Amino acid sequence: MLALQILIDGFAISALYGLGAIGFTLMFGVCGVLNLAHGGIMVIAGIIGWWAAANYGAGPYGGAAIGVLAGLVAAYVTYFAIIRPVQRSRAIPKEEEEIFVLTATLLWGIMLQVGLDYLFSNNPVTMRSMIPGVISLAGVRTPRNEILIAVVCWVVIGLLTLLVNRTRLGKQLLAASINPRALTLLGFELSRIYMVVWTIYGLLAGLAGVLLASFIGVSSANAGALTASAFTIVILGGLGSVPGSLIAAYVVGYAETITAYLIAPTLRPIPALLILVVVLYLRPQGLLGRR
Amino acid sequence: MRQGWITRAGIGAAAALSLAIGASPAPAQAAEKGPIKIGVISEQSAIVGQSISHGAELAADYINAHGGVDGRKIKILLYDDHSSAADAVRAFQRAAEQDHVKAVVTTFISEIALALEPWSARLHIPTITPGAASNLITKQIHDNYARYKYMFEGWFPATILAQAVCDSSHDLFAKDLHMKTAAIMSEDADWTKPLDEGYVKCLPKAGLKVVDEVAFNPDTTDFTPIFNKIEAKHPDVIITGIAHVGVQPTVQWHDQQVPIPFGGISAQATNLTFWKDTNGAANGVITQTGTVPGLAITPLTIPVGEEFVKKYGHFPAFVGFTAYDAVQALAGAMGRAHSTNPDAVVTQMEKTDMVGTLGQYAFHGRKSKYTHSLRYGPKWVPTVFMQWQNGKQVCVWPASKCHNKMIFPPFIKTTKTAAK
Amino acid sequence: MLRSPLFWLLVPTLLLGATAPWWLGAYYLGIFTTAYYFGVFSMSWDLLFGYAGEVNFGPTFLIGLGAYGAGLLNNAGWPIPLCLAGGSIIAVIGGVALALPALRLRGPYFGLITLVAVLLLIDCIVIFAGVTGGEIGMMVPDVLSISATVNYWYAFGFLVVCGTILFILSRSSLGLILQATGQDRIEAAALGFNVTKHKLAAFCISALFSGLAGGMLVFYQGTASVDTVVDLSITVQIIIAVVFGGRRTILGGVLGSIFLILFDELLRPLGQLNTFVVSGIALLVVLLLPDGVLGYVLRPRASR
Repeated sequence: MLALQILIDGFAISALYGLGAIGFTLMFGVCGVLNLAHGGIMVIAGIIGWWAAANYGAGPYGGAAIGVLAGLVAAYVTYFAIIRPVQRSRAIPKEEEEIFVLTATLLWGIMLQVGLDYLFSNNPVTMRSMIPGVISLAGVRTPRNEILIAVVCWVVIGLLTLLVNRTRLGKQLLAASINPRALTLLGFELSRIYMVVWTIYGLLAGLAGVLLASFIGVSSANAGALTASAFTIVILGGLGSVPGSLIAAYVVGYAETITAYLIAPTLRPIPALLILVVVLYLRPQGLLGRR
Repeated sequence: MRQGWITRAGIGAAAALSLAIGASPAPAQAAEKGPIKIGVISEQSAIVGQSISHGAELAADYINAHGGVDGRKIKILLYDDHSSAADAVRAFQRAAEQDHVKAVVTTFISEIALALEPWSARLHIPTITPGAASNLITKQIHDNYARYKYMFEGWFPATILAQAVCDSSHDLFAKDLHMKTAAIMSEDADWTKPLDEGYVKCLPKAGLKVVDEVAFNPDTTDFTPIFNKIEAKHPDVIITGIAHVGVQPTVQWHDQQVPIPFGGISAQATNLTFWKDTNGAANGVITQTGTVPGLAITPLTIPVGEEFVKKYGHFPAFVGFTAYDAVQALAGAMGRAHSTNPDAVVTQMEKTDMVGTLGQYAFHGRKSKYTHSLRYGPKWVPTVFMQWQNGKQVCVWPASKCHNKMIFPPFIKTTKTAAK
Repeated sequence: MLRSPLFWLLVPTLLLGATAPWWLGAYYLGIFTTAYYFGVFSMSWDLLFGYAGEVNFGPTFLIGLGAYGAGLLNNAGWPIPLCLAGGSIIAVIGGVALALPALRLRGPYFGLITLVAVLLLIDCIVIFAGVTGGEIGMMVPDVLSISATVNYWYAFGFLVVCGTILFILSRSSLGLILQATGQDRIEAAALGFNVTKHKLAAFCISALFSGLAGGMLVFYQGTASVDTVVDLSITVQIIIAVVFGGRRTILGGVLGSIFLILFDELLRPLGQLNTFVVSGIALLVVLLLPDGVLGYVLRPRASR
């Protein structure tokens, strides 16, 4: 009974962690960008979705759609206002681009958070469940919404896998992640591929933010923690590896859930962090990362 | 590019110089004329923080409209601390040393109150927190009175809050609903340690056996494991001690249809926006608070609440009332002392005994363990317990102030044990 | 030396700094006192990052160890100088413990392990609340001084001493070797330098000064709390200060710290939006002047 409870609870939260992290890892894999404003973008999606649903009668689905759209817009703004100027700046040497992306997105993340504070206050908010009610799964009372969220996460992850592995566009993305220069030599425009990745990223981060708001709630104060959590999962899985991130999301999700059930809810985050230290010590490139 | 750096260095030096001029010498000590300045340090982005500044401003408006203090007006200066202790310390320095405020009203966060306590001692600024609940704040004052006497706690230390919860739980759960057992669910924080100790001691006396005690990490987002653990022990009621979290556990309690009612302290549930923030999941949640709309604890409660709605468009969090009372108490003390001298103000503050918005407003003395904190009890500030019922905050305790029945959502099972 | 632009910038700045108590009010002295301690944090971080090329998200791990170490020893009855020494030693031990696994890693992986160290430290502080005071912090019985002027002198003197030592170190062979490994690790190793040993040394030096400054800050403020010495927002402030002021300049971090803290205060009339504006200005500087303010002033560029 307890084992089943842990299995079900851990599954949904891990799926959500995974969804939050794969956009982040894809972005690094293809564009080489570590976006530290990631949590801010997720929170924007969640809060705008809630705001549209609660104040303008958009309903749970309309609110979710508006929220995802807000996430997409936030991602585009991040790209055009922050990332592109860094990538195109002649004053920034290529080998130092990484630290400039980190610093600039860090500052941008703070601006997003303070802006949200100003406009919406830092109160945590939750979106209405898309399907209310609970059902009994082999004796474990489970909210329908939780099941829906797990299903949506996995459908989206499945679609993304299909896109990357089965379509022409996906092959280009893969090629860009392995050798961007060769791709330009073959006549593909990198900036177009970057646009595609930022679009996918914006949709994924927006969706993750909306589902988060509907499952456990969001607040602008969570932005930093969400970024840290995505960063942790992505590194544990190996930077740029989508399957690695999914495995890592489940490792972290279950480590937290098992700790909360079997050891003590106060110690919840610690085992996941210790696992991370051990894994990085033994495998410095993460679970499925390339050297 | 030889001369390039000279120009640039020149610009740098000029910038440094202009900065120096901009930061001109501090003005001489303002004469003891003109308005009395009181600083308010709180976070405007937080609904609770905003209520503090609104409450202080309302009190100042009232005092100024009624002749001021010894003919001098009160002027409120606002400082945003972004809920950061480091920021609050700098704001405090600015208030005291640059703007020469005579007193400070600040924060509902214990960490910030504790970070400011040494500064109030150092700079001799009477400082009052309208909402922080750590026992440590008053313990410092008690243990080292000469140094920390400038600090006041315009609310209850956690141990006293626990007593209030037990008093109400006895009537609400043990007596009215014939409940026998309770589980304690608290975030792992400094203020909940004395609270939990208090609960464990006084709940059995109130007729509720404690069957489980769950502390959880305040950063917890998924509460499913906690609810499942508690449910396995079959308590009749969950007594909470939460402030850092609130929306999340409430929504998950509702979505997962945990069949056990929520009582105790859930600070976020005292906000009027809580219903909207949780999309109505708050229905049935009970928490300790200062007052609710429409409740007259003293003749001041309703008029001040109406002033809030008139001026700011919404009813405040309870700290709006405690901040109002804090400014009134400070002004009263300055009036009686005929001075803003900090030691004289502190002496007069200790003699405060006035009708506040939430009850008879007075502080514990030096002998009490809870020096300079608010007096609790039916004769002083009673505190009320409210329940969210269909979008409204409804007072359910004490019976001497309100007679509303508790109503629970359908997934809650109180029928078996309830009287009818 | 007289030809160096840095010299001509430093002399008036030091003069201004040294005479500040005669023409600045207590409030501004307080701001500069805090900014100077942050300046030392930033310089220590620059040594590790700017020179060794490691993106370290864990400066507050070292600062926090020094601060809490000193605070706990003070609560145990030790006098302030011994507490500061003890705190620094704890920070150095922590730095070595962190460096050993961390130096196996590169780039973002290195960044993450340092981040995790901070998260674990915060969790430990909260879990062992009985000793550390938990998330609300811990008071210390002693303070350096209650006079704003004396506190300013302590901070200013401390900044000058640390700045001098770190600056000389950065110009020494250690700094050059670190810079070489930061740019091309394999080549530096091929030239016969023991890369790991030098990085470890940089870690220890960084830890020593971070821990010491953390302890000083605690004895200035009278409290140690997660929010004031360990929180990730402090890391963010340090990183921004260094990039804003200029990487690989050591002294740029001081400039950046003063800018961030002073402007946050000067813009206080904007209320809750002051952080937004300051971050925006810093973002513009990062995008338009990638060498930072000090880097821009100091570095003559052939291309321009």
